[in-house]
Amino acid sequence: MTAEPVPIAIAAIEAPSPQLFKYYVLKAIASLIAFPLTMTLLYFRYHTMRYRFDAEGIHMRWGILLRREIMLNYSRIQDIQLRSNVIERWLGLARIEIQTASGSAGSEMVLEGLLNFVDVRDFLYSRMRGARPHEGSPAAAAAPDSLASVLDQVAEELHALRQMIEQRNATRDLPR
Amino acid sequence: MTSPADAGLPFSALEHRVLRFLDVPAAPEIPDGSAASVRVFRAGDNFYAWLVFKWAAATVFVSLGLVSTTFAVIQIMRASPRWAQIGLSGVLLVAWSAFAIAAVLTFLARRLNFRLRWYIVTDRSLRLRSGIFTVDELTMTYRNIQEIRVTSGPLQHALGLATVEVHAAGGGGDAKHGGGGHVGRLEGLSNANDIRDLMVDRLRQYRDAGLGDTPHIEPARDVSEAAAARRMLAEARALRAAFAARPD
Repeated sequence: MTAEPVPIAIAAIEAPSPQLFKYYVLKAIASLIAFPLTMTLLYFRYHTMRYRFDAEGIHMRWGILLRREIMLNYSRIQDIQLRSNVIERWLGLARIEIQTASGSAGSEMVLEGLLNFVDVRDFLYSRMRGARPHEGSPAAAAAPDSLASVLDQVAEELHALRQMIEQRNATRDLPR
Repeated sequence: MTSPADAGLPFSALEHRVLRFLDVPAAPEIPDGSAASVRVFRAGDNFYAWLVFKWAAATVFVSLGLVSTTFAVIQIMRASPRWAQIGLSGVLLVAWSAFAIAAVLTFLARRLNFRLRWYIVTDRSLRLRSGIFTVDELTMTYRNIQEIRVTSGPLQHALGLATVEVHAAGGGGDAKHGGGGHVGRLEGLSNANDIRDLMVDRLRQYRDAGLGDTPHIEPARDVSEAAAARRMLAEARALRAAFAARPD
């Protein structure tokens, strides 16, 4: 498959938008008593989260103590979900959840904090398996009455004739 | 951002305001595919009846619990001092009004949930959008579809409803309850079998759909006359060779 260049606006994405930090603060507040712990974890998650969209796939990494890095090929994407709850929508955010064929019940990769999520989703969709026209669809057939199609039919007849002869040859070769 | 109310769907003024408040995005974009193949399905009318039934069942269940709790509390109140009686009746009042508000809100949500559903099917992919509080938009190509299921419970069956589930590869656990993203669900369809047939038919166009060995795909054929003549020549030569190899 030819590697087309990634659109500039998407290749430029490196870190989540500051809006994501606001969302994380609200999320931590919602965890009530666990606020200090949740806030610490989300603070580091936000500040270490890095994205890279290259010709083959997405690289995503985050974490300081527990480092995580995910690399995912566009062509291995099974399906893409665009999800947003009310708070995220108020902040202009949405999550892009990407599924591959691995066994986890959740999403294999969640892209958070992207403001141009619809563009990113459409880009990922255009790169996933089966999104291009005619790819994997049946081979083009010649028009039924064209010379090429008639010649192919003659070739099929010859093929059948050859198979008959070869079968006969095979049975005659058997020891009697 | 435009609200779905601008997309031509009839909404009351109140619903319009709720949608604006919740910032629900407009109708989903149609994914790539030939324009002639695009079909947009909606949940069947009876799906609303089904949602209202589920709402009513939940409401009755909760109200029965509340009623029995209220009787129990009244029994306690009879033997309580005056200040406890005032406190307990305050608690009861708060509980009942919270219940009433929740019942109205969830009813309104069901109504909107029913209408804000799009199941878009093209010749290459499908896009499923549902939800109001959490808006969920799934995009999946036919080449990644592993299986298609049609499910229907007894009550849904009586209402003529069924759910078509489209499974991609992978995903374990409790995918049924929205957690897993490997399944696309077309809920509350009144014409589930037609949709299944349409999708199975389109899936057949993709002989390498799903994982696993591809069931013999012929290489793309050169349909020019010269190429066809060359194929015929090759067959004729092979035929002569086979004839020449006859044992006698």
